[in-house]
Amino acid sequence: MTAVRDRELPRQAVPGAPLLEVTDLRTYFSLDGATVRAVDGVSFRLEQGEALGIAGESGCGKTTTALSLVRLLPPNARIEEGSVRLYGIDLVEKSPNALRRYRWREISIVFQGAMNALNPVNTVGDQIAEPIIERLGLDRKAALQRAGELLELVGIPRKRADAFPHELSGGMRQRAMIAMALACDPAIVIGDEPTTALDVMVQAQILELLERLRRDLGLSLILITHDLSVIAETCDRVMVMYAGRVAEEGPVGEVFARPKHPYTQKLLAAFPNIHADRRTLEVIPGSPPDLRDPPPGCRFAPRCQFAMDVCRTDVPPEVTFGDGVRVACHLYPQGSDGVPITTPPDANGTPP
Amino acid sequence: MGGSFVARRLGQAAITIVAIILINFVLFRLMPGSPERVILRGTPNVTPERIEALRERWGLNDPVFPDQLVAYITSTLTGDLGYSFIARGQTVVDVLAQRIWPTILLFGLGEMVAIALGLALGAYSGWRRGGPIDYLGNSVSLILYSTPYFLLGMGFLLVFASSIKWLPTFGMLTAGRVYGSPFEFLADLGAHLVLPLATVSLGLVGQYAIVMRSSIIETLSEDYVNTARAMGLSEGRILRHHALPNALLPTVTLIAINLGYVIAGAITVEVVFNWPGLGTLTVQALTARDYPVLQGVFLLLSVAVVLANLVADLVYGVLDPRVRT
Amino acid sequence: MVGLAILTFFAILAAIPEVLVGPLQTAVTSIGPRLSPPIDGFPLGTDELGRDIVNLTVHGARISMTIGLLATVVTVAIGVLVGIVSGFVGGRIDAVLMRITDFFLVIPTFVLALILTPIIRDVVGSATTEVFGIRMTLIVIVVVIGITSWSSTARIIRSQTLSIKERAFVDRARVVGAGPGYIMRVHILPNVINLIVANAVLVFAGAVLTETTLSFVGLGDPFQPSWGQLLEAARSVGAPGLGAWWYFVPPGLGIILVVFAFTLFGSALDDLLNPRRGGRR
Repeated sequence: MTAVRDRELPRQAVPGAPLLEVTDLRTYFSLDGATVRAVDGVSFRLEQGEALGIAGESGCGKTTTALSLVRLLPPNARIEEGSVRLYGIDLVEKSPNALRRYRWREISIVFQGAMNALNPVNTVGDQIAEPIIERLGLDRKAALQRAGELLELVGIPRKRADAFPHELSGGMRQRAMIAMALACDPAIVIGDEPTTALDVMVQAQILELLERLRRDLGLSLILITHDLSVIAETCDRVMVMYAGRVAEEGPVGEVFARPKHPYTQKLLAAFPNIHADRRTLEVIPGSPPDLRDPPPGCRFAPRCQFAMDVCRTDVPPEVTFGDGVRVACHLYPQGSDGVPITTPPDANGTPP
Repeated sequence: MGGSFVARRLGQAAITIVAIILINFVLFRLMPGSPERVILRGTPNVTPERIEALRERWGLNDPVFPDQLVAYITSTLTGDLGYSFIARGQTVVDVLAQRIWPTILLFGLGEMVAIALGLALGAYSGWRRGGPIDYLGNSVSLILYSTPYFLLGMGFLLVFASSIKWLPTFGMLTAGRVYGSPFEFLADLGAHLVLPLATVSLGLVGQYAIVMRSSIIETLSEDYVNTARAMGLSEGRILRHHALPNALLPTVTLIAINLGYVIAGAITVEVVFNWPGLGTLTVQALTARDYPVLQGVFLLLSVAVVLANLVADLVYGVLDPRVRT
Repeated sequence: MVGLAILTFFAILAAIPEVLVGPLQTAVTSIGPRLSPPIDGFPLGTDELGRDIVNLTVHGARISMTIGLLATVVTVAIGVLVGIVSGFVGGRIDAVLMRITDFFLVIPTFVLALILTPIIRDVVGSATTEVFGIRMTLIVIVVVIGITSWSSTARIIRSQTLSIKERAFVDRARVVGAGPGYIMRVHILPNVINLIVANAVLVFAGAVLTETTLSFVGLGDPFQPSWGQLLEAARSVGAPGLGAWWYFVPPGLGIILVVFAFTLFGSALDDLLNPRRGGRR
């Protein structure tokens, strides 16, 4: 497949910088006079060719984090603090017009529920060609040609480029959205719950497609989902978020096999495992905090069975371990060796 | 576009037209007194033989159903709409033909201006929502919507006929004037056209603006607009290429539905400005109880509306691929 | 709610015109100078017969609004009947009724009303009986507006009926053996009342406008001048051209305000009560 352009770095790229480095990102919303601290100090890194999964319950801020990268936020939201460095270029500092240049060409998004994400009155081919024409400056003929190539790449016959969105099945629409996301040969593709609205068989196909594209094109991927099985299958690293902060982050194998943060443990336990012995699903009692007035200290403390006094007052520091896992929990203070400082309370709930 | 789509619409239109003709037929029979008395009304020396001859001529002695009905339908479809009562000797078709162009001129232009202005205003309002212009525009639109067109017209008349006499307010052309050149003619026509045109356009602009505005607001909150933003497309392109085409859809529907109501306004505006079109004809025929002309007008206007709706349907099919299947 | 305030004002005017300004002046009882601008004793001037415009406008309020009200009753009655029956019974009856409804939606009903009115008037004759204080000539207009305007109401009610029909309690009633008439009356009707009310308000606005326009083209009754009739009278004596703004501005304003108020009120009601319109999909 012919690439439209070489994967060249943007002019302002800092040599040697990581692909994406997000530092202490804070995105707040203004709602009825109150401030919702939806993303409150999130940091992570994405290297070339990696697939990072962002997991967590609804409302934990994972989508907002991703949208903040390209500042695709509603009018009442603002990036309060932090930096988003793409190839070392801080996108937060850029003016809206300057930022626009990075959209789709460097970072593109595959939205969930492609039912409405596609314009009903334009053909699929036209919609894929649109960013190619508008952002890359190709003429219509060349753009449509490339659109056809992209469709083939995602497994849709080229001639369906003349179809309208309502004429395609859900799975095909999602594939078309993926093709659209690849149109300008971006460095990073963000998938926002890309398989949620699809049935299981189609889900598997889409995931397989993403995996193949990653291999063949060297794509870097950020996958946002509440479905841990998707992350387990497709991603290299996983970042678990809770109430606007990072709970735990690390290689998928490590985190899923040996979860350190209590929330991660609960999250994994809450997932139905078809191979495990039959037992009732574990439910995490309580509900996420109101982000207008989050608890001081660790935000998971009210629901955590290991909560200590310090959890309620101090924000847990992020500690990184040798196996590449990063945790923000008082069970693992600075200098910890990866073993939690307290053993869990016994069955009666009394600490040792 | 699917052939069956077009065929279906044409079929429905045809049926509607037939129904209109039927209604006309029934109306004619409903008329008070016997039809012949109405036809002969005002004619002196009506003898029984005369009445009988008339009945024969008009086929009134044949059984109503199916003979008279069929005769009526066929004569209508072949363009014979009967004779006007008041304009003795002239067929209804003649009378209508004389009056149709001024009406088409006035309302064609009026609709076009209203559509252009209304859509533009509405789109701008929806785009820059909440600003003072938006609020003002909305209120004005609502008030205009509540105002009968002729009232607007009378207002204009008041200003321009009695106080500031800049523009003519009566008729289509200055009576008795001789034109040295086509430009003079056009100038005179244009001058006479201004006020009635303004009245018609103002009356319509409000509705179109309101619908377009809410349509744009709804469209801008759709997911595909978000996708377009994520693509880094300029706001201008998003508005033009994504929002507008979708926002136009309900507006087209409205324009079509509206036509029936516009006609009521049409008639009255013509009356206010004495514009020599179908409107003034209708009122004159009404006062004189010239039923054949009235029925002719009804038929003509109804068919026009049906056809306009048909066109609107087809245009909608062009704009929205989802209805073509 | 501005709309409500305006409405109450006019409702009062309409209800008790005689108390406010005395009986309707006629050519015989007029006492003022002809076509005079506002002067002492005649705050809104006089018409060409010397009648006080205030008097005429206030009485016009009653006439216009009563006609509007009656026409609304007829329109909504027919529309609801057709809508519920069509939606509930379904099948061929529904198809036929809907074809008829669509027909009335397409044709220029105003022109139809225009033709029907004189015909029916001639048929009915010039009886001087009054219904709710409105002469027969104008009752004809009420009926004509009713028979030409019911279709949009019918469509709306039918939609609502269709969705109510699917609800459980209707099925339960059917299982128990209730007849269709009973179900329609006892189950469906109460659930569309909200919609009917919201719709009726808008229908009223439309009815007032239609009556006004019909009167304006000469179908009004000079002995019971509605606002539209007053406007027609103003036009035929050339009031605008003569600068006699006081003749047509008061009734005109009345129409604008009443229609505006009802439209505002009706949209607000519609948003409130119409279950379909709440929130995005």
